Amino acid sequence: MATEAAPMDEKAKRMRDLLSSFYAPDPSISTSGSSINASFDNINSTSFDADQYMDLMIKKSNLEVLLQRHVQMAAEIKNLDTDLQMLVYENYNKFISATDTIKRMKSNIFGMEGNMDQLLQKIMSVQSRSDGVNTSLFEKREHIEKLHRTRNLLRKVQFIYDLPARLQKCIKSETYGDAVRFYIGAMPILKVYGDTSFQDCRRASEEAIEIIIKNLQTKLFSDSESIQARAEAAVLLKQLDVPVDSLKDKLLEKLEQSLDGLQIKAKEASLLAEHNDSSNDAESSDQLPAKIHEDAVRGFSEAMRAYREIFPDSEERLFKLARALAAMHFENMELYIRKRVSAADFLRIFRIIWEDVVLMDEVLPEAELSDLSAEAAQVTVKQFVAKTFSHLQQDISDTILKFDINQKEAVEEEVLKVVLEASKKAGLQGITDIFQDFRQLLDENTGIFVKMKDLIIGWIQNGFQDFFRSLEAQFLVLSGKTSSSNDTEGGLVEGKSSEKIHAGLILVLAQLSVFIEQKVIPRVTEEIAASFSGGNSQAFENGPAFIPGELCRVFHAASEKLLQHYIDTRTQKISVLLRKRFKTPNWVKHKEPREVHMFVDMFLHELEEIGKEVKQVLPQGTFRKHKRTDSNGSNTTTSSRSNTLHNDKMTRSNSQRARSQLFETHLAKLFKQKVEIFTKVEFTQESVVTTTVKLCLKSLQEYVRLQTFNRSGFQQIQLDIQFLKAPLKETVEDEAAIDFLLDEVIVAASERCLDVIPLEPPILDKLIQAKLAKSKEHNNNNTVSS
Amino acid sequence: MQGGSSGIGYGLKYQARCISDVKADKDHTSFLTGTLSLKEENEVHLLRLSPGGSELLCEGLFSHPNEIWDLSSCPFDQRIFSTVFSTGDSFGAAIWQIPEPYGQSNSSTLECVASLDSHVGKINCVLWCPSGKSDKLISMDEQNLVLWSLDSSKKSAEVLSKESAGMRHSLSGGAWNPHDLNSVAATSESSIQFWDLRTMEKVNSIERAHVRNVDYNLKREHILVSADDESGIHIWDLRKAKVPVQELPGHTHWTWAVRCNPEYEELILSVGTDSAVNLWFASASSEKKTSESPVEASRLRVNPLLNSYTDYEDSVYGLAWSSREPWIFASLSYDGRVVIESVKPFLPRR
Repeated sequence: MATEAAPMDEKAKRMRDLLSSFYAPDPSISTSGSSINASFDNINSTSFDADQYMDLMIKKSNLEVLLQRHVQMAAEIKNLDTDLQMLVYENYNKFISATDTIKRMKSNIFGMEGNMDQLLQKIMSVQSRSDGVNTSLFEKREHIEKLHRTRNLLRKVQFIYDLPARLQKCIKSETYGDAVRFYIGAMPILKVYGDTSFQDCRRASEEAIEIIIKNLQTKLFSDSESIQARAEAAVLLKQLDVPVDSLKDKLLEKLEQSLDGLQIKAKEASLLAEHNDSSNDAESSDQLPAKIHEDAVRGFSEAMRAYREIFPDSEERLFKLARALAAMHFENMELYIRKRVSAADFLRIFRIIWEDVVLMDEVLPEAELSDLSAEAAQVTVKQFVAKTFSHLQQDISDTILKFDINQKEAVEEEVLKVVLEASKKAGLQGITDIFQDFRQLLDENTGIFVKMKDLIIGWIQNGFQDFFRSLEAQFLVLSGKTSSSNDTEGGLVEGKSSEKIHAGLILVLAQLSVFIEQKVIPRVTEEIAASFSGGNSQAFENGPAFIPGELCRVFHAASEKLLQHYIDTRTQKISVLLRKRFKTPNWVKHKEPREVHMFVDMFLHELEEIGKEVKQVLPQGTFRKHKRTDSNGSNTTTSSRSNTLHNDKMTRSNSQRARSQLFETHLAKLFKQKVEIFTKVEFTQESVVTTTVKLCLKSLQEYVRLQTFNRSGFQQIQLDIQFLKAPLKETVEDEAAIDFLLDEVIVAASERCLDVIPLEPPILDKLIQAKLAKSKEHNNNNTVSS
Repeated sequence: MQGGSSGIGYGLKYQARCISDVKADKDHTSFLTGTLSLKEENEVHLLRLSPGGSELLCEGLFSHPNEIWDLSSCPFDQRIFSTVFSTGDSFGAAIWQIPEPYGQSNSSTLECVASLDSHVGKINCVLWCPSGKSDKLISMDEQNLVLWSLDSSKKSAEVLSKESAGMRHSLSGGAWNPHDLNSVAATSESSIQFWDLRTMEKVNSIERAHVRNVDYNLKREHILVSADDESGIHIWDLRKAKVPVQELPGHTHWTWAVRCNPEYEELILSVGTDSAVNLWFASASSEKKTSESPVEASRLRVNPLLNSYTDYEDSVYGLAWSSREPWIFASLSYDGRVVIESVKPFLPRR
């Protein structure tokens, strides 16, 4: 069978082709199937050329093949013949059967018309019959329909009569939803007939409904119910036309009250958080207040969420509430940081608040809470930064002033040194702490802080700038240099008038300014460069906020000013002494000098005190000798003389301590020459003492010039000055100037003397020795007694 | 910048403390100065700046019986001036008239117009009424303030009123308010006192110790400048005299005297015992400046010291602006050197 299948197929195919070519004479269609292998040797192709085929065949093939081909072809032709015969036969068969069928159909159609008429008659009779039945049954149906309506009505009435009971049942089973549905269903009837037929019924059901409403309200208010249940209750209430708005108001009021509760809690939490920090060991109790607060806020936000779902139209109010909460938080924060707070505490509370804000924001994203609180947070952080700086300043000034009270009694003990060291330490420590705090601020990753980073850096830089500036101002105020003329800071020094400010304090401030200029500001600059740089470029268009150069200049100037002020206050004190000395006696009628006047003692005592103070605070000048030549030679502050060469020569000879011959010979010239009296003060012990002495001697000279002396008066001055010479030279670095000034005093006195006869050197000597012996004895007594 | 080269110098024979501008001399820029010598014969020099302004000439030299502590020229008669003098143990004050014609002989005697001899203590100064016409003057000793009326034709001076300031305030000098002729400022040990000449009562005071010198600003009412020993120069607004309007550092040592320029209200001169004359610029907007924040003010603050003239050998005590040529001032150092300087390079642009 398998072997036969192929030729059968072949055969069938050919048959189909033939048939198709017969039925569809269009050659293009018939060839479409076989044109795939159309070529010269395809006999079936329409373009088949027999001659050409023959030529090709003859040319290509040998005899044997040709013979074979011939046989094959003959067989094929025979086959085709039989096929054609078959086809013709089959067609014929079909024709015959077709004519048979047509014949049968023709016979069947006869007699159909009569049947049709019969059918029509029957249908007509059926219709008339059915009409008869219809008319006969109409009355009954009408009646049935009426009965049905009545039954429905009766059922409704029954429902209404049953309503109260049903509602009660619902109340019992707490299916308020059904109850409300029933009631609303009955509502139209009750409305129409409520006053007449169904009065009792209505009353009863209304009572029931009232109970339902009450229940629903309690359900709405009770926090224990789920939000779903409460929301449903609210919806039902709304369906019952209960005035929900008043309910809403009540609820929101309650919420507001709970807000107050939160506020107190926030305060407590902040207090407690502070408290926590100190008792860090008790970790368990640590978490408590924060947790309580968190729960409270969570509850609050839950309520918010619920209300929002229940009353979608009350958003505005909720927004307001949320904003109020945030505002309140930040207000409390501000109150909180008014006290002293460490950055860690600050951050802890800030984090709590921020969590709250985020929570709120989740519930009410439309309230723009984050924007609002971001602003508030900025303000708070800024305030915190400012506060930190002001605390530091307060610290430093406190340290300075703390010791001030005891100072007068204990000049001997090195109080000044202690103060200086303490304030230095306070300053450095404060700066370090502040940097730590700020670093914490910067390291904080709470969302808002990341955003504010640049701003914070700006504030910190600005803060430092302002801090140093105000510190300088405060130094000046503390020193009494800028007296209470400044209204803002007037209150600070109101208590102490400028006279009461201890001179030593001024000296300490001066040295502290130097310290800040040389140590603190570079340190701050480094720190800022290390961790607080950049980011502020757009915030501060006018360059960086922290300008160390300018601050250094400011403090340099301040230190010089303060040192000058110290010298001024000191000389002022001595000046008063000298003034009294010269104003009181009648110099024209002065008696013969018996001893060195006691003002010399006081003068020296003052100098000693200055020396003590200076020694505690200021560094010692290096290279004493070198310094002297330096201060003499390089001074151009007041020099205008052309013959500086001479001056040089003189100082050189002085520095070699060979002041005798040369000096004497130049003495006369020296009077006409300007010796550098007023030199620039340096931050050394010697320089300060020397400057003070110089100023005092100059004052002495001026006082002398204002008087007129008799011989004894002049001699008294001569004696006093002579006595001063030795101790002054010991304390002072610029001996030449002191010599000059002392001589000047004597010259001035002699000029103002009516009768100049100096004391004889032996007498002078004797009186000085006496004085020395006396003071020594006095000293001894003092040491013995003490 | 050393101002030494531009100055015109003139040497007195002896030491001296006081110099005065001869206000009444409208034709010349003249100054009067008197010496302070205990033992030698004291002189009063009338100095005149040559028309070219290059030389300082001595127009008259008159002997004065005693050493002169204070000298001021009469504002309406260029020949009259007053001196306060000391004889060593006592003080006196007198009005003098330069004899006519002056300038011929080198040393002629002065004519004493009147002696203001109602004082006992140390007389400090004689002030002429700044109006320029009135014949009133005030003399001041340590305790008393005396108002005189001078009649130069009759050669007499009459005490109009006299008031004691009390023992405790020892007065040391003063200034007559050019804007209110009834008011005089007097410096005392602890304060600047303001006296009303009508009632001869103290009406006001500024508590300020050791004020050495005061001067009213001629151009701006209510503005007074004071010089202290220690704390420099203060500018006060008398309407709110609690705190100074402005402070200037003054001198390295005492600031001895201050003078406001008669024409340019911002210019102030001061002399000090550090042998220097300082020219200050006290800006007119100083009132506003104080109201600004301290930071702002310090930024705006320019050095108020315009120039420091340091070409002096000794303390400078005498100082006077020329009222005729207000850019010229005369200074006098203790060694008797008068130096005339011009502040033209520092004048504010108008």
